[in-house]
Amino acid sequence: MSPRTLFVMFALLLVSSLFAYADDAAVQVQLDSKKAGPRSVETLTERGIVRDYRLAWTNMSRALEFNNLDPLDGSFIGEVKQWLRQTITNQHSGLSQRYVEQSHKLEAVFYAPEGDAIELHDTAQYRLQLFDAGKLVADEPMVVHYVVLMTPSADRWMVRQLQAVPEF
Amino acid sequence: MRRLLLVCVAVCIAGVSLAQDLHVPTSAVAGNEATIATTGSGNATFYLLGPGVSRKNDLNLGADIHIPPQDLRNAGHYLAVLCSGTCRSASFYVNADRPASLAFLVHPSRVAVSLGDAVSGVALPFDHYHNLVLAPVGINFQIAAGTTSLFSRPTRTQDGVAWFRTTSGKSAGIVQVIAALDDLSAKRVVQQVASDPCNLHINGQRTAAGILVQTEPVHDCAGNPVTDGTIVTFTATGANGKSTVDAPIKQGIARAQIKTPGAALISAASGVVMGNELRIGTQP
Repeated sequence: MSPRTLFVMFALLLVSSLFAYADDAAVQVQLDSKKAGPRSVETLTERGIVRDYRLAWTNMSRALEFNNLDPLDGSFIGEVKQWLRQTITNQHSGLSQRYVEQSHKLEAVFYAPEGDAIELHDTAQYRLQLFDAGKLVADEPMVVHYVVLMTPSADRWMVRQLQAVPEF
Repeated sequence: MRRLLLVCVAVCIAGVSLAQDLHVPTSAVAGNEATIATTGSGNATFYLLGPGVSRKNDLNLGADIHIPPQDLRNAGHYLAVLCSGTCRSASFYVNADRPASLAFLVHPSRVAVSLGDAVSGVALPFDHYHNLVLAPVGINFQIAAGTTSLFSRPTRTQDGVAWFRTTSGKSAGIVQVIAALDDLSAKRVVQQVASDPCNLHINGQRTAAGILVQTEPVHDCAGNPVTDGTIVTFTATGANGKSTVDAPIKQGIARAQIKTPGAALISAASGVVMGNELRIGTQP
C-alpha cells in the first residue's frame, strides 16, 4: 500500500470521526437529579446517563436520517428499539427525518432503590425536518416532553422507553 | 394601480393559505383508529410521522383521513403534514390505553431474614402495546409465605411507577412477592435464608486420629437453621502452637478432625460470632 493511499485512508478516518464527534457534540443534554428518589443519583451515574442519553439521540437521529438500523444497537433496548426499527423500515419509501439543533433538559424523577432503572423527564427542543426523496417537506421547531426509562447494561445506560406526552 | 396589485397579492396569499388545512384529533388512545379532517380541494400529499410510523399518502382534499389502529399503537407525539403546493402541519398526541401488564422488578432474589429495608420492588403498568401507563393507578404490593400474608402495602403509581421497600421476614424459606393491579398481578420469588449463626456451641472428644470436634445444630438468632455451606472455623491452641480448620456446615452441623497430640483449647467462630471454648486433654 503506497504512502499516498495510507494518507488518504487516514484523512478519511479522521474526517469521519470528526463528523461523528460533531454530531454527538451538537446534542445538548443537561440533567437535574436533585429530585430523584428513592435512591440518590451519584455524580458518576449522572455523568454516565448524560453521556449515554446524548449518544442515544445522536444515534437515533443518524438512524432516522440515513435509514440505517445499525446505530440503534448500542443505545436502545426493548419496545423503543422495536418502534424505531419499524419507523426506519417504513421510511424506505424515500422518507427521512432530521433532528437538528437539539437541546434536552432532563430531570430525574425516579431512581429505583437498587439502581436498576431510572425515569427521566426530558423537555426536548429541536427542529424536525422531514425529507421526501431528498426534498425538504417540513421544518418544524418543536418542544416535546418525553418520559424516558433507562436501564443499565454491562457498560452503559440503555433507553428502554421514550414516550412523548403533552405535559408532565 | 399599485394598490390594486397589493390587493391581488394579498388575495392570492390568502387563497394559497386557505387552500388546504388539517384538523388533528385533540386526544387519541393507543391502538384505536383516529381521524384527521382536511379542508380544501384538489390533490394533496399527506405525511404522518410518529413512533413506529413514517408514511406518505396521496389524497383528495376535503376528505377525512382515517389512521388505522396499527399506525397508532405507540403512545407519543405524532406530526401530520399535508402538502398541496405549500405544506401545513399539526401535532397530536396518542395516550397509553388501560394497563394490560405489569413489569415488576424485585431485589434481591435471596436475602437473610430480619434485615432492615432489604427487600424492594418496583412496578410499572403497561398497556397492551407496551406503552407506559402514566395516569395514576393503584397497585397493591404483598409478600406471602404459602397462603399466609406477611406484608401488604397499597400504593398509587406516580409518573407510571410504584415501589416499596421493607424488612425481610423472620422465617427462612420461599416467599412470594406480588404486585397486583385490579385483576392483573405479577409474582416474583424471594428466598429468605437464615442470618448469621447465633450462640455457637461446640463439643468434642479425643480419638485415635486426634480431636473430633463438632457444633451443635447451628441456628440464627430467630431459630432458623443456618444454611449448609456456611463456614465454621475451629481453632486448637496447644503446646505446639495453633492449628486452624475450616469446616462447612452440613445438615446443620459443622464437624472437623484436628490432628494435635497434646492437650488443646478448642474454639469456634463463624463470621463475627464466637462459640464456647472447649478444653480437651491428652487421654481419649
